[in-house]
Amino acid sequence: MTAPLVQAPVRRPSVRAARLATAVALWVWYGLAAVFLFAPIATAIAYSFNEGVAGKQTSAFTGFSWSWYAQAFTDPTVRQATETSLRVAFWAAVIAVVIGTILGFELVRNPSRVVRRLLAGLTYILLIVPETVLGVSLLLFYTQTRIPLSEFTLVAALTPPSISVVAFVVRARMLTLDPSVEDAAADLGASRLATLRLIVLPQLVPAIGAAALIAYTFAFDNVVIANFLSTPVVNVLTVYLYGTLQYGATPAVYATTTIVFLATIVVLAVAATLLRTTLRLRGRIR
Amino acid sequence: MRRNTGDHVLAAVPLAWLAVLFLVPLGFTLVYSFGTSGFGSVTLGFSLDNYAQALGPLYLQTFLRTLAFAVGTSIACLLFAYPVAYAIARRSGRFTVVAFALILVPYLASLLIRVMSWQILLAQGGPLERILRAVGLLRSPLTVLDSLPAVVIGTLAVYLPIAVIALTVVLDRIPPEVVEASQDLGARPSSTFWTVIVPLSRPGVATAALLTTVPMLGELVIPVLLGGNKGLFLAQAISTQYAQSQNYALGSAMVVLLVIAVGVIVALLVRLTRGFDAAGAERGAG
Repeated sequence: MTAPLVQAPVRRPSVRAARLATAVALWVWYGLAAVFLFAPIATAIAYSFNEGVAGKQTSAFTGFSWSWYAQAFTDPTVRQATETSLRVAFWAAVIAVVIGTILGFELVRNPSRVVRRLLAGLTYILLIVPETVLGVSLLLFYTQTRIPLSEFTLVAALTPPSISVVAFVVRARMLTLDPSVEDAAADLGASRLATLRLIVLPQLVPAIGAAALIAYTFAFDNVVIANFLSTPVVNVLTVYLYGTLQYGATPAVYATTTIVFLATIVVLAVAATLLRTTLRLRGRIR
Repeated sequence: MRRNTGDHVLAAVPLAWLAVLFLVPLGFTLVYSFGTSGFGSVTLGFSLDNYAQALGPLYLQTFLRTLAFAVGTSIACLLFAYPVAYAIARRSGRFTVVAFALILVPYLASLLIRVMSWQILLAQGGPLERILRAVGLLRSPLTVLDSLPAVVIGTLAVYLPIAVIALTVVLDRIPPEVVEASQDLGARPSSTFWTVIVPLSRPGVATAALLTTVPMLGELVIPVLLGGNKGLFLAQAISTQYAQSQNYALGSAMVVLLVIAVGVIVALLVRLTRGFDAAGAERGAG
């Protein structure tokens, strides 16, 4: 940048002081936000070691104990709910990835402008519709069409929001791909399906991987939709924990969520690495 | 020609799946909202009684309170988030990634871990009360939990990262030349901020407002866990109609009202940014 011609090149000290004061104020504000965000997480971890009173969590720290972790791992209800959660989240992620990838692809490549706009509208609406609306509507739909609530109905219910997230991630990657490569493959005699399988899909793999992990954590962590569609038989971990939290939780609940938190961070760190690989690939292509 | 049919078959897959699991259930809700309810069963017809009841003396207050809560908390969230995003995007130098990650990590934790700890932090005899007493800011017991302020605090903590992310992305993209130009033309830092940065960040503000207000309108978990489950907001009223009263028709009418409120807010925000979202969608799809 060239020095300004009219003004004195050196800033007045008052401006510099004001600038410094602004910077300090900004970072103090930032620190407040960070404390505000981390306080509940730190509290959850700390209080997972709290002895509590009569097996219940208390707001005062009554003593240190490891025992809640042992209980979290051995409690049959928690164990079963965790297994159901892992299974439900897995299938929800698989379906969301397959359908979301197709959607993300068609958002960019569908030859008809009308279809593209229709799909885009649907994807945007899905992203912003409140989960309560989705959960309640699906509950009404299932009960009135006499489809019995099962693990599958829960899996299906968890897919729509995930599909839109997967579609957006895949669409972002699709926008960086050069369509002339696909045209070249077609000119050389490849069928549309072969082009998709051999040219497009391999380039989407990192994006799909990241999207899959995001979809998985969404389905695993979901409370609202699962709350409406779970039954005493199909009980997922979040709904079980949510229920206990309403009527006085044990510190074992805090131990369980702490374990889930650490596992989530690991899974999402993998997702982040995959996404970064995608971005680096994009940089190289451009 | 062959290519077109293939793409339309592909596009039909997500369309069909989302029609069954999203559009049809929403249609059910709309139809049932005009029905007449017995216990657990609905006689279909065209009656506006449910809407009269949903907007009647008993529930109108809940509806208005929900609107005020969502708009008010969203504004508070944006005011809290703006300086944080500004610090990350424009003042963090080579620490941008770290500063951003510190806000992002709490966002990736599950909703329950971020909400449940406020039950401890805000409780009587809890950590916050002790700190406030030690500093001398508080003499009487802390009576925040199970009330509206606790819900607002919990909601701010949950949605702050989303607002920061949406704002940071846009603030980060403002080209430094624009800022330098305004400085060269003699603008003080404060007038640069108000006349250059703030107007250019408008799309980010709109996105952040959208991503906070809309889910807040349907927020269920936070009021239940921190508001003492007193049915403060619409989502709780809806949930009660479905889970306890079995009045599906009234519940459906409330859902429709919630969707209308969401639609109005989205339309307002899109208009405020002169169709920014629609333009973005079109560009992305085209």
